[in-house]
Amino acid sequence: MKDSYTLKSLAVLLENNKISSKELTSEYLKNIENGKELNCYNTISQEKALIDAEKSDERRKSQNLRSKYDGIPIGIKDLFCTKGVTTTASSKILSNFVPNYESTVTQNCDDAGLISLGKLNCDEFAMGSTNKTSFFGSVKNPWKSVNSDNELVPGGSSGGSAAAVSGDLCVASLGTDTGGSIRQPASFTGTVGLKPSYGRVSRWGIVAFASSLDQAGPITKTVEDAAILLDIISGHDEKDSTSSVNPKENYYENLNSDIKGMKIGIPKEFRSDKLPASTQKSWDECANLLKTNGAEIVDISLPHTMSALPAYYIIAPAEASSNLARYDGVRYGLRVKGNDLIDMYEKTRSEGFGDEVKRRILIGTYVLSSGYYDAYYIKAQKIRSLIKSDYVEAFKKVDAILTPSTPSTAFEIANEPSDPVQNYLNDIFTVPVNLAGLPGISIPYANDENNLPIGLQLITNSFEEQKLLNVAKNIEETINYSETPEKWWLK
Amino acid sequence: MEFDKKSLLKLGKLARISISDDKLNNLSKDLNSILEFVDQLKEIKTDQVDPTSNSLNQKLEVRDDKVDTKNSAEDILENAPEKEMDFFVVPKVIE
Repeated sequence: MKDSYTLKSLAVLLENNKISSKELTSEYLKNIENGKELNCYNTISQEKALIDAEKSDERRKSQNLRSKYDGIPIGIKDLFCTKGVTTTASSKILSNFVPNYESTVTQNCDDAGLISLGKLNCDEFAMGSTNKTSFFGSVKNPWKSVNSDNELVPGGSSGGSAAAVSGDLCVASLGTDTGGSIRQPASFTGTVGLKPSYGRVSRWGIVAFASSLDQAGPITKTVEDAAILLDIISGHDEKDSTSSVNPKENYYENLNSDIKGMKIGIPKEFRSDKLPASTQKSWDECANLLKTNGAEIVDISLPHTMSALPAYYIIAPAEASSNLARYDGVRYGLRVKGNDLIDMYEKTRSEGFGDEVKRRILIGTYVLSSGYYDAYYIKAQKIRSLIKSDYVEAFKKVDAILTPSTPSTAFEIANEPSDPVQNYLNDIFTVPVNLAGLPGISIPYANDENNLPIGLQLITNSFEEQKLLNVAKNIEETINYSETPEKWWLK
Repeated sequence: MEFDKKSLLKLGKLARISISDDKLNNLSKDLNSILEFVDQLKEIKTDQVDPTSNSLNQKLEVRDDKVDTKNSAEDILENAPEKEMDFFVVPKVIE
């Protein structure tokens, strides 16, 4: 297996008949088999993937390709409904659920000829930042510290999606991001993770967590690949009334890493004494690099940054408690027998949901309940307005904002804090972007003193994905980050 | 407000999640910790601020009212834990 495989390079190999889709798919299926210890996949679509690959090879022979990328296999977060393929959201309550419809995003991938290798592990209902809340157990980060043999979290909730790309168990994957669930695991695994603007990508057929925040996006090895996959998955969908009618752009074709004259904002509220020195150093270095490449660095203020996380932990659980009311043991999913209807609901939900999901449903139910609705839910929505207006003001002065992606690099699976609030802090730099509906990307910048990847986040104004990708491309080209994890699981 | 045993059980009823006695202590500790964390928002003045429920400034489109054949009873019932004819079966509600 060559580490240099990307969507871009594989398209060329396929085009020149250097490899067939079936060979390529078999190669990845072998990697998945050899990498079982990483626990990246909930479902491996061995048979279906090989059949689909053969079909793609036939299309290639008859010059009837669906796109340039026809025949490339990818991984899909187990939150996207896939027709005939078990879709669990990594929850016991959906562990037997086989949808009879296909999400718009995965349909778009199929329409481009991409092949699904299977469904990737994630935090249960995408609630978590370590992948430990999955009913199917933790995903292991392909990276390890040079100073310890202990296993590390891949981040979450799209932990399987990020770890699989990092460990070559797929060349690219689909994730979802409600408060950082693409960018944070990308940062922890040395991969590129893009959360598009709210509305850029259809949410239809994605298991809902917090509907006003959820967005699907790619996790890839390069910025170019992120653009390629965004081209494939984005666009208006009449089945999702919140999907944008703004015309989609050709992100890959229009990639341009020239940033001369651009203004890049550094928000002072993201500075913290608690930030590891190596992360701070990468952030400073990157700002200098952008300056050298022709951009102007501007100090900006986003005054309500610190209120974003508490507001998120009212809004997201409120929406979750409402969205997850559908899991009642009546129409699909797990049913636990009860003495009567109510008893059946309560037992089904008590046995079917894990602890973190229950906590969020209970908090959400509380903040929406009579007497607390105004004090919590409406209050948080007002804070959301303040956060949004912070960014509106900032983007009058700058083209893009540069921050760290996460307050730390990957930590040990065994060291996860027991206090849920301590865990929530993992998303402190990513959550404001979801509340404001903006696009954000995490790109690997350097490795820290333990040889673990440090990710930096870029943010632009709504629907300015092109600009976001262009700045990210500029950084990527300049630093040429090429670290890969040592494949300890093969020994 | 603090979550004690009584209020937690009431919340569990509202959310239709039964909470066993051995989970009550840890759960009230966790929920109180989350509540304390979000309570910091009370310090921020928001009297003059309108709430945002959705960041997308887009008018909701009205779709054409046309018949289609998707979502057949058969499809909808495919994953039902228990079904009979074209119905979901649940425990008896009326005595």
